[in-house]
Amino acid sequence: KTITGTVSDQDGLPLPGVNIVVQGTTNGTQTDFDGNYAISASEGQSLVFSYIGYKNETRAIGASTTINLQMSEDAQALDEVVVTALGIKREKKALGYATTNVGGDEVNTAKETNFVNSLSGKVAGLDIKKSNTLGGSSNIILRGYTSITGNNQPLFVIDGTPVSNISNASSASFDTTTSDQTQGRGGYDFGNAAMDINPEDIESINVLKGAAASNLYGYRAANGVIIITTKTGKRKKGLGFTVNSGVTLSNYDKDTFPKYQTEYGAGYGAYYSGPGGYFFEQDIDGDGLDDLTTVFTEDASFGAAFDPSLLVYQWDAFYPESPNYLQATPWAPGKNDFSHIFNTGVTLNNSISVSAGSDTGSFRLGYTNLDQTGIYPNSKLTRNSVDFNGSQDISEKLTVGVKATFTKTDGSGRNGTGYDGRNVAQSYRQWYQTNVDMAAQEKAYYDTGRNVSWNFGGDPLTQDGRKPIFLNNPYFVLFESYESDTRNRIFGNVNLTYKAKDWLTITGRTSLDTYSELQEGRIATGSVDVPEYSRFNRTFTELNYDLLFNYNFDLSEKLTLDGVVGSTARQQRIESIRAVTSGGLAVPKLYALGNSVNLLNPPTEYLGKLKDYGFFGNASFGYNNLLYLDISGRYDISSTLPEENNGFFYPAVSTSFVFSNLINADWLSFAKVRANYAEVGNSTNPYRVYDSYANPTNFTVPFFSVSNQKSNADFVNELTKSYEVGLETSFANKRFGFDLAYYSTQSTNQIYPVAVSRATGYHTLVVNSGQVDNKGIEASAFVSPIRTEDFEWAINGTWAKNESEVISLFTNPATGEEVTNLQMASLQGGISINATVGQPYGSIWGSNFTYIDGKKVIDPTTGRYVVDGTPQPIGDINPDWKGGITNRLTYKDLSFSFLIDVQKGGDVFSLDTWYGYATGIYDITAGTNELGNPKRDPVSEGGGILLEGVNPDGTPNTTRTSMGNYANALGYVRAPNALHVYDASYVKLREVTLSYQLPKKLVDNLPFNSISMSVVGRNLWIIDKNMPYSDPEAGLSSGNIQGYQSGAHPSQKEYGFNLKFQF
Amino acid sequence: CSDFGDMNIDPKEAKIGEAPPETLFAAATKQLSDQMTSTSVNRNIFRLFAQHWTETTYTDETNYNLITHDQPGTHWNELYRDVLRDFDESRRLINLTDTQLTPPAVIDNQLAIISILEVFTYHVLVDSYGNVPFSEAIDINNVLPKYDDDEDIYMAIIDDLDNAMSMITVGEPSFGSSDLIYGGDVSAWIKFANSLKLRLAVRIAKVNPSKAATMATEAVAGGVFTSNADNASFQYLSADPNTNPVWVDLVQSGRQDFIPANTNVDIMNALEDPRRRIYYDQNLEGDYVGGIYGSNSPYRDYTHLGSIFHQPETPGILIDYPEVEFLLAEAAELNLVGTPADAEAHYNNAIIGSFVFWDAGDPETETPPSAIALDYLSKPEVAYATAATTWQEKIAVQKWIHLFNRGFEAWTTYRLYGFPEMNVPEISGEPVPRRYTYPLDEPSVNGANYSAASEAMGGDTKASRIFWDVE
Repeated sequence: KTITGTVSDQDGLPLPGVNIVVQGTTNGTQTDFDGNYAISASEGQSLVFSYIGYKNETRAIGASTTINLQMSEDAQALDEVVVTALGIKREKKALGYATTNVGGDEVNTAKETNFVNSLSGKVAGLDIKKSNTLGGSSNIILRGYTSITGNNQPLFVIDGTPVSNISNASSASFDTTTSDQTQGRGGYDFGNAAMDINPEDIESINVLKGAAASNLYGYRAANGVIIITTKTGKRKKGLGFTVNSGVTLSNYDKDTFPKYQTEYGAGYGAYYSGPGGYFFEQDIDGDGLDDLTTVFTEDASFGAAFDPSLLVYQWDAFYPESPNYLQATPWAPGKNDFSHIFNTGVTLNNSISVSAGSDTGSFRLGYTNLDQTGIYPNSKLTRNSVDFNGSQDISEKLTVGVKATFTKTDGSGRNGTGYDGRNVAQSYRQWYQTNVDMAAQEKAYYDTGRNVSWNFGGDPLTQDGRKPIFLNNPYFVLFESYESDTRNRIFGNVNLTYKAKDWLTITGRTSLDTYSELQEGRIATGSVDVPEYSRFNRTFTELNYDLLFNYNFDLSEKLTLDGVVGSTARQQRIESIRAVTSGGLAVPKLYALGNSVNLLNPPTEYLGKLKDYGFFGNASFGYNNLLYLDISGRYDISSTLPEENNGFFYPAVSTSFVFSNLINADWLSFAKVRANYAEVGNSTNPYRVYDSYANPTNFTVPFFSVSNQKSNADFVNELTKSYEVGLETSFANKRFGFDLAYYSTQSTNQIYPVAVSRATGYHTLVVNSGQVDNKGIEASAFVSPIRTEDFEWAINGTWAKNESEVISLFTNPATGEEVTNLQMASLQGGISINATVGQPYGSIWGSNFTYIDGKKVIDPTTGRYVVDGTPQPIGDINPDWKGGITNRLTYKDLSFSFLIDVQKGGDVFSLDTWYGYATGIYDITAGTNELGNPKRDPVSEGGGILLEGVNPDGTPNTTRTSMGNYANALGYVRAPNALHVYDASYVKLREVTLSYQLPKKLVDNLPFNSISMSVVGRNLWIIDKNMPYSDPEAGLSSGNIQGYQSGAHPSQKEYGFNLKFQF
Repeated sequence: CSDFGDMNIDPKEAKIGEAPPETLFAAATKQLSDQMTSTSVNRNIFRLFAQHWTETTYTDETNYNLITHDQPGTHWNELYRDVLRDFDESRRLINLTDTQLTPPAVIDNQLAIISILEVFTYHVLVDSYGNVPFSEAIDINNVLPKYDDDEDIYMAIIDDLDNAMSMITVGEPSFGSSDLIYGGDVSAWIKFANSLKLRLAVRIAKVNPSKAATMATEAVAGGVFTSNADNASFQYLSADPNTNPVWVDLVQSGRQDFIPANTNVDIMNALEDPRRRIYYDQNLEGDYVGGIYGSNSPYRDYTHLGSIFHQPETPGILIDYPEVEFLLAEAAELNLVGTPADAEAHYNNAIIGSFVFWDAGDPETETPPSAIALDYLSKPEVAYATAATTWQEKIAVQKWIHLFNRGFEAWTTYRLYGFPEMNVPEISGEPVPRRYTYPLDEPSVNGANYSAASEAMGGDTKASRIFWDVE
């Protein structure tokens, strides 16, 4: 007979899609949209009702032909359905690998412009380093660096669409690691592409960490996958609206800004004239006698001691609009130091979304506007995004879905980075005069619109002589030499799902990710550098075509089999062109290529294309909710590999054993062990197989030149092998629990360009060897010390330690000799970042102290460090461990939480103190020594400093060394690089959130379904750090070149308020 | 089973073999001229080593700091990667030329010119570092090239130079307009090769006098430069990136990094040298004042460089006629070719040639440079008979003055003869380097060979000496 009925949830709402099976048979059906079902079965048989997140129910069939059922949520299983590779939803307990699920509220309450930053401290094994620039990139590393010079960032997948996360640095090619910006040579950090994802639209995030988890995604997932599921409409009747409005204020963090000395002004030492040799002398007032002027040319502060009774003609005595025009003013520290330049940044975030559902379909349409002004004047970022997510049943078996996101990002006045005049931090951290009043600089620019700098080279009485020499007025830089950029991006997919059989679902999906961007650079007329306009246009397009056959069988009552077989095809194309004016701008402020003074040099063009095919399949066996076994494999063919070797296969196997099901104990809520072994192959960038010539700018005749990189026609795919074991538990009705993982990966056959001796005639050679091993432990734990009906205190902790080691690099083809070091970047200051055999990936090399018995050796005649100039390892970019603790207190509708984020270890070289200690701007370069005398006094008069160390004979150093000028023992002139390598450890109060949801009875009187509000703070307090004057997290950009600061920007404390209405 | 076609071939770059060989030759020639001419603190600081110029504010290089900007690394990179590699590829392509279309004599002429400029490049490398990769260089199949003994390299390139000259057929064309120095005139290249040979002969005179004598005699017999019209001169253009590199650093940068050093100004002031009008700017009232070598010297307080250094189109020079005359004077004193009695005439020719080269006439009185030079030569401090007690000092001082815009040769002149006397920079207190240290990345990319070479040089220090630099 036919049994009919309605299945509903705890609240009595109909529950569609509930599986109903006649026990012991393959006869089954599902409830429809209204929760109704019909199935034929006989009396005496039983119906099993199952639905993910709900407890299974069994009902015996009696005489009645109607069985209505109210299902109850299974608290234990509720949050344990996760989205895995290819969008397949799996019960977490069945997984033989580690994943971490993060709810959308974690990223859209305390919103970051780049949502990825909100994950810091919340996912064990995920190392996120936030850039401190407006709209800058975040470096994201899962379980350590595995690729020697290639991409180490995880893959982002949004609702099944792989989304590029390449850095938006103005690098023409696929190979973003070679961009000048990432190596400190100036530029802007345009962020990475994942930041186009609007946090407001995120429903949940799942982080797939190991190769076993990502095997089905193929080689691009070798660094792990961050799967993002966006919000969608619910299939219930009616419209729903959500309006969200938030404002965030941000201020620079003083702990991450220089502390200046305020005792001495401009100069490099006593090299000039006037009292003590610290001034220029020139007759300014026309009385025939020389007057004192500042040493304008000098961008350092090793000059005269401040003395307000001494009157000096300073920079502001010379521009005619100045209040101090032709007036000498007291020799005193600038009333406002460089921090005067910072504003309070304001971010407005407003969004509205509508969702609707019917019997056969649902959708959500969201619009978000982000409007951000940075802490530097004239810096702003806006992002408008429209997100659509919908599905519609065409027939009972066929469903069509569309997901589309359009994002338009416009930046202007982004913060310059690195050693470049367009980065004002280059001045305030490295080259500066402490006598300069930044408010006066501001006024000078506002009053004149000109580049009235404190630093000029000629006769101050002439306009031409006041042309800036090394450093511009920072306000002129920010307002006149600003960049602007715009990026339009569309990503999404169209998918068709066909339920061919009860056991077979076929999905076809076409995904697109495309953007076009324009980055425009300006150097205004009147700047130190040659005026310039540059434009960089890039278009990126990726298409993915997937065909998936999902199957599931019950092989027996207890044994299930499900899985997927499918294929994918991918095409990627990057096209870019960069053009720069030559010789200056004919008309000031006209930023057009046609305004070039000289004929334009040919623009730089790039066209990169790649294509690949993947064939994959997996089979998951489940036995009685107890034991799971998953076998998968994938075969890829890639266009970037040599034709004869362009296909490769890699397998994975994982298992999960839920042994708590064998132990019937109240105290044990859940326990499983998991283990897996997996391989992931990897391809490479285009154009590494065939050689070509570079095309330098022509002279009177055409020029060609052999490329600096030697290609390699004979390589095979990269391969990462990994295994992992884990234990996942929860106790006492989920009051506490933990998850432990140990993993080990070996990344072999790497395809990468290695720096070789230039005596070969090349800079780099593409090789296909080398191995990097990573192993690590990840732990996360939760506990609820207090849990009552109204109140809960929950603590979540994560901790992860990763150890990497470069095992081998490559052998010299001619001699078979092992190469033991690879220089990845050679950076200013004589520093390089290296992959060195036997060392962790990313060792910092430079000059070192000389040691005797672990003590630094001091030259007894000079009192300075004895420097060992041979470059050698002096630091390691990798942290020893990272961790985070979140405390959450919930009382009824009020919730308070805070996250403390910790990093132990890791090193950073600071080019800022390297130069800044020589220019005398930092507090450490002044003050008094151990005798109580001014450090800057001559050693003969009791000045100078006493460095800790020993003489070459082992006796303690007793020789004080001069701090009287730029050639002191601490700055770049004399110091070893190692003196400027700092421990990057920190303890940060990363996030504080206070949320309140208005009680339902209150809301019921209003035309809303719910109202919530939250107050959030981010990066409020660096509780502890060892790096002076700076945020140890600050870097140049995302990518493999870490552990280096040059012109670092301060971190920002953010305070936000957010209001959300649903109706 | 793939449809990739040629999609892995970069559509925006020329395929190997598809660029004409002369385009690589021309590019390499410019790189060579740029590297020898530049005054960038990242590339070429030989004007500072020679103490012709000094730095105003940032005095690292004048204190012989080779770490901060790794000039040895850039110098090496440019010469190997951007000069020698492209010469080598040009030769490879020329060797593939269809002899039906290009006569063998033309091919040989092209190969000979390449070889001559390679010899020039390697002698600069040896004179910079001592032992360098040579026999195993420019071969990507060997990424750990050994360093050859500096003297061995000299012997090899001297042979190469002779071979190259023997390949040339005068009257036949070569590179035409892609020869940016001589416009394809092979007879000019023979003169260049002989002049270079004479330079090398004088270099090794102390360590191998017999070889030096043979070389010098052959060079003179073969024909060296006889006037400034023979100069190996690279004519720069007016617009970036094809200007004289000095213009980039002095003018385009807007900076005030360089001024004439007191070492140079004091000597020229003492001689009341008329070339000061060319070398220096009259920005100060009264006398010319040179910046204190190696110390912070405010730009405004000292004499600036003359206008010729501020012109984008000022040529770059590899060898010139006055240098050759100085070399002939040295060769005479060394008994390599001619006798010491011949030295004075060459010395006089050299100085006259220098005045002509620098166009150091007096525009007000319309006195031509040669006449001014003769007047100059009549001064007792200049006249060969009375200028100084040793011939080394007489020649070295004047040669060094002439080489004002060619730091490398000026520095080498000091290394050979110990004159003129140099100042010791205050900050470092170091003497003038005898060589460049090796590039900073060689220990990491070619460690074992680097170590062996360092040891062979007596340590990778600035004090170690090139084989011809004997006390």
